[in-house]
Amino acid sequence: MDIQVAKVGVVSCSGEEIPEGTLCRLACRKVLDERPGETVTICLPLFIAGGEEERTFAQNYPTITVDGCDKMCAAKATEMLSGKPARSLSVPEILKKHGLKPPDKLRHFGAGEEAAVQAVAEEIAKAVDEVLEEE
Amino acid sequence: MGKKHKKVVVLPCSGIGKVFGALARETAYELVERVRPGVATTTCLPLLVINDPEAVAKVKENPVITIDGCPKECARKSVEAAGGRVAKAHEAIKFYKEHKDLKPEGVAEVTETGRKLAEIAARELAKEVDELAAGEEK
Amino acid sequence: MAEFLEHTYEKFIFKVKEGYLYSQDEFWANFQSGAATVGLTDFLQKAKGDVAFLETVEPGLVVKRGDEIGKIETIKATFGIISPVTGKIAAVNPEMDASPYLINHDPYGAGWIYRIEPSDPEGDKAQLMDAKEYFEIMKGKIAQEAKKLYG
Repeated sequence: MDIQVAKVGVVSCSGEEIPEGTLCRLACRKVLDERPGETVTICLPLFIAGGEEERTFAQNYPTITVDGCDKMCAAKATEMLSGKPARSLSVPEILKKHGLKPPDKLRHFGAGEEAAVQAVAEEIAKAVDEVLEEE
Repeated sequence: MGKKHKKVVVLPCSGIGKVFGALARETAYELVERVRPGVATTTCLPLLVINDPEAVAKVKENPVITIDGCPKECARKSVEAAGGRVAKAHEAIKFYKEHKDLKPEGVAEVTETGRKLAEIAARELAKEVDELAAGEEK
Repeated sequence: MAEFLEHTYEKFIFKVKEGYLYSQDEFWANFQSGAATVGLTDFLQKAKGDVAFLETVEPGLVVKRGDEIGKIETIKATFGIISPVTGKIAAVNPEMDASPYLINHDPYGAGWIYRIEPSDPEGDKAQLMDAKEYFEIMKGKIAQEAKKLYG
């Protein structure tokens, strides 16, 4: 295996049923776009369905999971399939910590949802920094 | 005529990393929220993997339409692994191939042309939702 | 001999099939039983994304190594299929019409694009790289792409 640089895998829940799922996706994407050298997206459905590349990465690099609800699918699936994540974030807990209400729509977020996306993205970025420091 | 169903589950893969995952998700939402509200419903794909009883029951008791973002067919495979019945399986790229003028963009969420494409895709899939709900599955 | 040489970058595993020959344009040729099967490399299909449309030339067409013999359109790009072989197009993969995604799914196997009757196989082979040589070129390209993206 020819692993070259330290990176963190970010696993977002797909959360189709709840607005926090979309919030998860957007916040994770924001961090991935702003920290391309340090973060890699792990596609959760592919990870679950047996994607060789997703699973190999998660076995060899630390992962941060971000879940939209207390069922914690991303954290549980990651632990089941490759090992305990380095950090497991919960969107409801992050919103509570920042005194923010969850979005009330499933899609097409706008200015009204920006604060929530930013807060979750910041917490993910903080977790990335912590994990990279530990590596 | 087969059994009538109150609900038809539309399950996108929601793959993050490719635009067609986002297109699959947007198409499912169009069906659930606008085109066939009350009949089309969805659930979270990872809930099936962690054996959430409600999610598993949903896909076992109702016909399922899966929309996958790539040929790896994660949504279809996850439903089948949970013991659910995939009545129709689609790949989101098919809708782009049929409407080449609407090239979707965006990875976490599609942008404007993707939304237009999702609207068209949802209207095309509405017929399948109606047939499955009426027990007229072909 | 392992079936593939593999290079991992981030979560991506780039594969190079042993026994095939490779062009600088990222197309491979497999010479067997008097014919050359042709397709694109794993690196190229990963770089360009999911294939949506494929435009191919007809069997019977005489082509030279380096000629454009079709086009591939993905969500990210449209690019030419560059023949690594000189000869006559004998067949187009019949699966390509309905299932062009095979190029992404199995670029060295079911995703083959053309069978060509080579008119100068030894000349072609002399110009193409073997798997090990191409593997080093591919790793270099990946490192360059990473530098462009991440500085």
